[in-house]
Amino acid sequence: MSIEVKNLHPLEIKVLLNVEEGEEIDYGLLAERLQFKVGQCNQAFSWLTAKSLIQDIRHIEKRSYELTELGKLYQREGTPEERILKFVVQKGAAAIPEISSSLELENKDTGSAFGSLSKEKVLAMNADKEVTALQDSPSPRMNTIRTLLDRAQAKDGTLEESELSEEEIAAISTISKKRGAGGTPFKLIEGEEIVYSFTKEGIQAKQDLQEAGITGEEVGTLTSEMLADGSWRGRQFRAYNVNSPANRTLLGRKNPYTEFLESVKDKLVSLGFEEFDGPLVETEFWNSDALFMPQFHSARDIHDVYQIKDPTHAKEIEQPYLDQVASAHENGWNTGSRGWQYDFDRDFTRRLILRSQGTVLSAKQLPKAAIPGKYFGIVRCFRYDQVDATHLSDFYQTEGIVLGEEVNLRTLLGLLKMFAEEVAGAEDVMYVPGYFPFTEPSVEVHIKHPELGWFELGGSGIFRPEVTEPLGIDVPVLAWGLGIDRMALMSLGLNDLRELFSPDIENIRLRRREA
Amino acid sequence: MPKIEVDKSAFYRYLGITADEEKLKEMFPTAKAELDGVDEEKNILKIELNDTNRPDLWSAPGLARQLRIHETGIIPEYPFFSAAEQKLDAEDRTVTVDPGLIHIRPFITAFAVTGKPLDDPGLKEIIQIQEKICWNFGQKRKSIAMGVYRSDLIQYPVRYTAADPDAVKFVPLDFKRELSLREINSIHPKGKDYGHIVADFPAFPFLTDSNGDVLSYPPVINSARIGAVEIGDEQLFIELTGTDIYSLTLATSIIACDLSDMGYTILPVKVEYPYDTPFGREVVTPYYFQEEMETELSYIRRQLGIDITAADAADLLRRMGIGAEANGEGVRIQPPVYRNDFLHPADIVEDIMISRGMDSFEPEMPKDFTLGRLTRETEFGRKVKDIMVGLGFQEMIYNYLGSKRDFLDRMGLTEEDGNGIIQVANPMTENFEFVRSSILPQLLYSESVSGNAVYPHKSFEAGKIAYPDENDNYGSVTKNYLGFLHSDNGADFNVVSGYVSAVMFYLSREYSLEELDDPRFIPGRGASVLYNGNIVGILGEVHPQVLENWGIQMPATVCELDLDALLTKEG
Repeated sequence: MSIEVKNLHPLEIKVLLNVEEGEEIDYGLLAERLQFKVGQCNQAFSWLTAKSLIQDIRHIEKRSYELTELGKLYQREGTPEERILKFVVQKGAAAIPEISSSLELENKDTGSAFGSLSKEKVLAMNADKEVTALQDSPSPRMNTIRTLLDRAQAKDGTLEESELSEEEIAAISTISKKRGAGGTPFKLIEGEEIVYSFTKEGIQAKQDLQEAGITGEEVGTLTSEMLADGSWRGRQFRAYNVNSPANRTLLGRKNPYTEFLESVKDKLVSLGFEEFDGPLVETEFWNSDALFMPQFHSARDIHDVYQIKDPTHAKEIEQPYLDQVASAHENGWNTGSRGWQYDFDRDFTRRLILRSQGTVLSAKQLPKAAIPGKYFGIVRCFRYDQVDATHLSDFYQTEGIVLGEEVNLRTLLGLLKMFAEEVAGAEDVMYVPGYFPFTEPSVEVHIKHPELGWFELGGSGIFRPEVTEPLGIDVPVLAWGLGIDRMALMSLGLNDLRELFSPDIENIRLRRREA
Repeated sequence: MPKIEVDKSAFYRYLGITADEEKLKEMFPTAKAELDGVDEEKNILKIELNDTNRPDLWSAPGLARQLRIHETGIIPEYPFFSAAEQKLDAEDRTVTVDPGLIHIRPFITAFAVTGKPLDDPGLKEIIQIQEKICWNFGQKRKSIAMGVYRSDLIQYPVRYTAADPDAVKFVPLDFKRELSLREINSIHPKGKDYGHIVADFPAFPFLTDSNGDVLSYPPVINSARIGAVEIGDEQLFIELTGTDIYSLTLATSIIACDLSDMGYTILPVKVEYPYDTPFGREVVTPYYFQEEMETELSYIRRQLGIDITAADAADLLRRMGIGAEANGEGVRIQPPVYRNDFLHPADIVEDIMISRGMDSFEPEMPKDFTLGRLTRETEFGRKVKDIMVGLGFQEMIYNYLGSKRDFLDRMGLTEEDGNGIIQVANPMTENFEFVRSSILPQLLYSESVSGNAVYPHKSFEAGKIAYPDENDNYGSVTKNYLGFLHSDNGADFNVVSGYVSAVMFYLSREYSLEELDDPRFIPGRGASVLYNGNIVGILGEVHPQVLENWGIQMPATVCELDLDALLTKEG
C-alpha cells in the first residue's frame, strides 16, 4: 500500500519523523519525546495502525488509579483522618458524636478513622471517652495518602502503578477499588498497553516525508490572526485529502412538488392565462348546480363530497345567478334548452361542502370574466375516497377556461395540443370524445409522453349554454382540466400520490426533481 | 362511471360485423367506451362507459348497436313502440293502478317477452342490464326498479296496488315462508338494502295478478313463484316502477330494445291509471315520448369551427342512429327510441363531432391576445417562500384534512376556548375529519416522524387554512398562511424572533410583538405579532407538554403568519 504522505495528519507525521526504525513506540515514549497527551497518542496509534504504518508487537499489563469524585473532595478539603486530627489539635478533646456533627461526617466513618489513627498512636481515647491528640503531625501513612492525592490531581486524576513506590502501592491499595469505587478516593483500572514499532511501509513513509521536507509543523487552518500579524508568511500549509467525505450541509429549499406545480403555473401564465383562486368551503350551488349537474343525477355520484357539519348551509346564493341557474335546471331558462325538468331544490343548493372539483372556480370566474379571456387555477380539491397510492382525500386539480367570440372545437383541440406540447412535452396527441356533465361537446386528450407512454392528460369541452348563459356569458367558453399528477410523480421519481405530501423531513430533504 | 362485463362471443354476435379487440378499440370512442380488460379464461370483455347520460350503452346489445350503426349506417327498426298518436294493441296484457300509489310510487311500465327460451348468457345479460339501469340510472332503485316474471303463470290484468305492509304476506324469493312486507324490510337481505325507499309510507307498492297471486313487492323483492325466472323459460313479463315517468319510460325502452336485439319478441302492455300522467291515463308501453329538436346550421358551424352543409350534418347524425333531415339552413332530428339526452342543440353538435371523427378536425391555436398573470396572493407567497429558503428553511407541503387529535388535542387546545375548526359531517375516517385551521400541527407532526433526520430542523409551509367565521356568507373563511418551525438544542425564542424580524424586514412590514398567553407555548415565551394594529401571527417556544403530546424529544420554536393580512399595505 502506498501512502500519500502529504495528506498525513501532523500527529502522524511527528511520530514518523521522531521515532527511529526498530524503536519500541508506546505512550511513555511519545509523552517524553513529543509531549503527546494520552488522547493524542491514541489518535496517532489508531490512524497509523489503520494505514499499516505501525504494528503492535507486544501487550503489557497495566494498572492505574483514577481519582473518584470522593477522591477529588479529599484532595481539596482533606481526608476524614486529616480533618479529625486537625479538629482535635485545634479544638481540644471531643467525643466522637461531637466530631461527627461538627465535621458533617457519619459516626461510623469518624469511628473507623479514629481506629486507624489510634493504632498509629496519633490519637487516643481519654477517660471521658473523648478523643485526644497524641501528636500534632500526621502519620507517615497519612502523608503518603496526601502525596498520592496531590500527585493524582496534578496528573489529570490518574496515577500509573509503574510510577508508584512499593509503600505507595500498599497505601493506595487500601483506598481503591475496582468496582463500586464511589466510596473510596481511587478507582483501580486494570488494562493493557500496546507497544508498537514501524512496519516496512512506516519506514518508507518516514523516508518519503523526509524527502518531501514535510515537518508536521505545516499550517492547518488559516486564521484571521495569522493574516493580521502576517505570521503565515514563509510557512507551509498542510495539504488536505480532497477526496475525504464531504460534510453534510443542510440548506433551505423549496419542496420539489410545489416547484413542479409552480413551473406549470408559470407555463400557463406564459401562455396568456390569468390565475384564479377561491375558498376551500363551497356550496352545492357552485360546486355542481352552476355546472348544470342535475341534483338527482348519478353524475353527482362521481363527485361524492364532504359536507360541512356546522353551519350546514350558506346564508344566501348570489342573485340573479341563483334564479337563472335554477330555471336552467327546471326548464332551460332562455338558453334554448329544455332543462332537466325537475323541481330545483333551493335549500340543497345552499348546502356547504368542501370543494370537490376545480371547475367550481371556472364557473365562479364566469360572471367576472373578461372577453376575450383565459383563466386557470391549480387548486386543492377534496374527495370522499379511500386514501391509497392513487387516491387522496385532498389533492390538486389544474383547471381553466378560455372565453372568446372565435372559440370553437378546433381552437379547443389547438389549446389541448399546446398543453400537450408545452406543459407535458408530449410527442404525439390523440383526441377522444369524452363526457363531462358541464361540457358539450366533450373531448379527452391522450398524449404520448417521452417516458410515460400513452396516458390521458386531461378532459375538456365547450361549456354547455345552460352553464354559461345563466352566469351572464353569451360567448362560447372552453373548459379544460389537466391531470398533471402522473407527470409530477415521474419528475420526482415517485409512484405513490401520498408521497407528494410526505411529512418526513429527511425524505423531502433528499428528494429531487429531474433537472 | 358504469362498468360492464360482456360475453365476448355474444358481443361479437350482437355487433354483427367481423371485428377483434384491436378493431373494438378503434370503434369504442364512438360510444365513449373504453376497453378496460379481457378475461380470456372466462371469455369476457370488461368495458367502461364514460357517458352517464347514455344508459342505452350500458349493455352488450346497446353498446354493440351504437357501434354497428356507425359502422354500417343501418338504423334498426323497433316496431313494438307506441306513441301518443299511435297505440299498439296490447290484447289482454293490462296493468291496473291503484289510486293510493299517486304519492308513493306512481308510475309503472311493462312489456312481455317471448319467441325463444331464455339461455344462460341471456339471463346474465338481463341481470346486468337491470343492475346498471336501476343502480346507476335509477338512483339505486329509488327512481327506477325492475322485475322479471314468468308470464305463463300470470292471469291478466296485473294489479299494481298500495298494500297494507303488515296485513299483506307472501313468500319472497330465496325464502320458504311467508313474510309481511314490513317483515321483508327487516329480515330479507333485499329488504334491508332497498326497503328504506318506501318504508316511511303508510302503504307499500305491491304487484299481483288478477287471481291475487303475488308478482312482487317493488322496488324490493319478487315472489318465490311467479318471480322465480330460470333458464329455459320462454314467456316473460317485465315491469318497471318508479317516481319519474320520463326516466322510467326511457329505461323501459332501452331494456325492450336490448331484448329485441338479443332475438326476443317484445309484446306491448297497457297501463291504466286512475290519475293523470304526462302521457295520459292509458299508456301502452314501450312508449316513444321524445320530442323532435331543431338546430340552425350556423350554430353547428360556430361550435365546431367548420364549414358544413345541412345535408352532410344530417348524414352524420343518421350514422349515429339519429333520425335526421336537412331543413333549409338547419337540421331537424328525431331522437332514437332508446335515447333522451338531447336537451339543447349543443347535444346534436356533439353527435355530429363524434360521427365525423376527431381526426377530421384540424386543431387551430386560439388567436385572441390575453395577458397572463398570477394572483397577488401567489406573487406574495412566492416572495415569502424565497425569504424562508434564504433563511435556510425546507419547504413542506401537507394535506389539508386531519384529525381532531392532531389539530387540537395534541396542541393543548380545546374547541371550547374559541379555537373553532371546520368539521366534516360525513368523514370517511376520523383521520380526515377536520379542515386545518393552522399549519403548526402538521409542522409538529413532521417532527414527530423525523427524529432521525440530522438537526437542526427548519421547515415551513406557505399554504391555505380555513376557520369558522359566522359573519361570512359561507360561515368560514380561507386564508393564505405561513407556518415555520425550528427544532434543535438552542432553538429558543430569540432565534425564532430573529427569523420573524428578517421576514418582516424583507417584506418591508413594520410590526411589534406583544406577550401572549397560549397553551401551545412556554409561559412568557410566546408572543403575538401585531401589524396595522391587528394580530397577524404568533410565535414562541413550544410548550414541553405539547412536545411530549407529539412524542418529540427536541426543543422547538414555531411561528405562524397570516399572509393575506400582511399583503395589505399599511395605512
